[in-house]
Amino acid sequence: MEKILTKKSFPQWVKKLSLYKIYAPVRDNDICNLEAIDNPESIDLDCSNTVLSPKKIIFPQREIYLEFETSDENKLQVKEILPEETPSVIFGVRPCDAKALTLTDKVFSGDFKDPYYWKRRNSTTLIGLACNIPPSPNCFCLSVGGSPHSKEGLDILMTDLGDKYFVESLSEKGSTLINLAKPLFQQPKAADKKAVEKTQAEAEKKIVRQIKDIKKIPSILENMFDSPLWDKESLSCLRCGICTYLCPTCHCFDINDEVSSSSPVKGKRVRTWDNCQFPDFTMHSSGHNPRPDRSSRLRQRILHKFQYFVELYKDYQCTGCGRCISKCPVGIDIIEVLDKVSDYGS
Amino acid sequence: MVNLEDLKNEAHKLLKEGTVKYIIGYERGTNGLLPIPAFIKNPEDVERLIWDPTCVFNLTRFLVDEKRRKASEKEPDERPVGVIVKGCDSRALVVLLQEKFINRDDVYILGVSCEEAGVLDEKKLAKTLKGKKAKNIEFTKNDNFVVMTEDGKTEISAKEILAERCLECKANFPVIYDILLGEKVKRKSDKPFGSLEKFESLSKEERWTFWKEQLDKCIRCYACRSVCPMCYCDECVADTINFAVTADTTAEEKAQKIKWAEKSPVTSENFVYHLVRAIHLAGRCIDCGECERVCPLDIPLRLLNKKLEKEAKELFDYEVGFDPDQPSLVSSFKDEDPEDFIR
Repeated sequence: MEKILTKKSFPQWVKKLSLYKIYAPVRDNDICNLEAIDNPESIDLDCSNTVLSPKKIIFPQREIYLEFETSDENKLQVKEILPEETPSVIFGVRPCDAKALTLTDKVFSGDFKDPYYWKRRNSTTLIGLACNIPPSPNCFCLSVGGSPHSKEGLDILMTDLGDKYFVESLSEKGSTLINLAKPLFQQPKAADKKAVEKTQAEAEKKIVRQIKDIKKIPSILENMFDSPLWDKESLSCLRCGICTYLCPTCHCFDINDEVSSSSPVKGKRVRTWDNCQFPDFTMHSSGHNPRPDRSSRLRQRILHKFQYFVELYKDYQCTGCGRCISKCPVGIDIIEVLDKVSDYGS
Repeated sequence: MVNLEDLKNEAHKLLKEGTVKYIIGYERGTNGLLPIPAFIKNPEDVERLIWDPTCVFNLTRFLVDEKRRKASEKEPDERPVGVIVKGCDSRALVVLLQEKFINRDDVYILGVSCEEAGVLDEKKLAKTLKGKKAKNIEFTKNDNFVVMTEDGKTEISAKEILAERCLECKANFPVIYDILLGEKVKRKSDKPFGSLEKFESLSKEERWTFWKEQLDKCIRCYACRSVCPMCYCDECVADTINFAVTADTTAEEKAQKIKWAEKSPVTSENFVYHLVRAIHLAGRCIDCGECERVCPLDIPLRLLNKKLEKEAKELFDYEVGFDPDQPSLVSSFKDEDPEDFIR
């Protein structure tokens, strides 16, 4: 289904979705965050991409697994906690971030379908916004099989055409949202479709950054485990967690018991994001750490994304959003690192 | 004015003569306007060095890594490391020397003066340029920056795009150095604690609301800690394993160690992390502003440290980062120290 929605009518559409919990990009001074909103007027679709991707909603940084408590008879009672299935809509999802969810889908499926992830995933509708202008100078989606107007993973794709949006429904979930406010949408004219094609073609040209030889990288990496490159490229790494926490595809987590009372014992078992760049990430209880330095941690980040994930799921675990590049405090640039990997292989 | 060629020549000489084992400086990166840290070993590579108002990093942070690396080497190269420092960075070095974390002999200090300017705030610049991309930035004499964009040259008043800390800088030239480039001239700073005014006018309740909202944004990426030259502890209370586990550590010992902060990014745990860090920086933070610059969520962390700097000044007449022989704030006592808070 293809429709036209004027920018003026956009807030009215959001209002019609009152049965859903709405998330959208909201400006906070110099940055944009993805927040739950009450007022459609606070949505800012002109924002550059949000600091954190929709990962923070589908796979929140903290998830409670269960609550435990000892009763008077000293019996341990355990209560499973599952997230409520709240029908939600996320506006302004960039194509790279939608694609990222198709990758985490693979991780949280397989032998075990993670109920926490899937309860949130299934109850969420993703409304994408094509990138007419790259939201970041470090965008490189074209290099990793994406595009600024890719539909992968989305339920609706909106394309900004000046005073209106070209709205394309891509799933049943998407059509449902459009049907809730039918009178607001018009049929697109031939000129609108032409405008969309033109905008999309131009958008691709605006992405300047690219990985030199991405196809060769997975096989080159197979022989690079002991390469001195990792030492060199990680020299300035501060061992912070920005690159991985901000990454829309990184999904490692930790499980801890948070005890709020020791007598009687009471607490929660929680899952939180974890980060392969932290020094205690692979620390064994013996004190041994198989990844003891920044070099082995950078190697892990690159190998996971461009070798192991490709071996497992036949896709790169990177969608070219550019967050890790733009936000790295010391400018470690994944494109540069991968280009050096290419050079190493030739 | 600091002449970049002079800096390159000095660096070249130091490397050629083997005075230093390598030099930590700034070079152009590929990710945007800001440079990246450069670690230069070969004299020819000094050509990569740059010096301009984008050189915001506090490079003394890498001396912490160097110390650890050296400690792990069997036959370490005993020569000093050359490091390029601005005024603020040099004050960080003073604290590292004062705390005996670094030996003076292990570092060769190439001081560069910011003179009457400072470094820029990338976010302020982006706002001023309204989407245009800056290609090159230079200081000029009349308190302006010359910014080259795709549309050509524009002059912007330094005040508009200087980092907040530079507007409040106490000495924008290095206070300790082996070589100094540029003049020991100071920018007239109107209010040394100006950025605190708005915050201090808030009531207790308003402050709580303000900080709760700010710290609730924290995702605990620990970039603020990681970028800080003063956060050099081997073990941090914020980490899950906040003590050194060795082969001899028993299971009981591990079980009995207190976990100070949970990994969950919730109000209580975020406050524990940030307040512990703030208190540990009291009398040590030299206001390089790096914690605030790197925060991906834009939490105004500098305010916390600035407030403690002001308290140290007002209560103990203590100024940080000028004298490596001065006893540190928390490890010294004077008869006239206020004690009315002891009850």
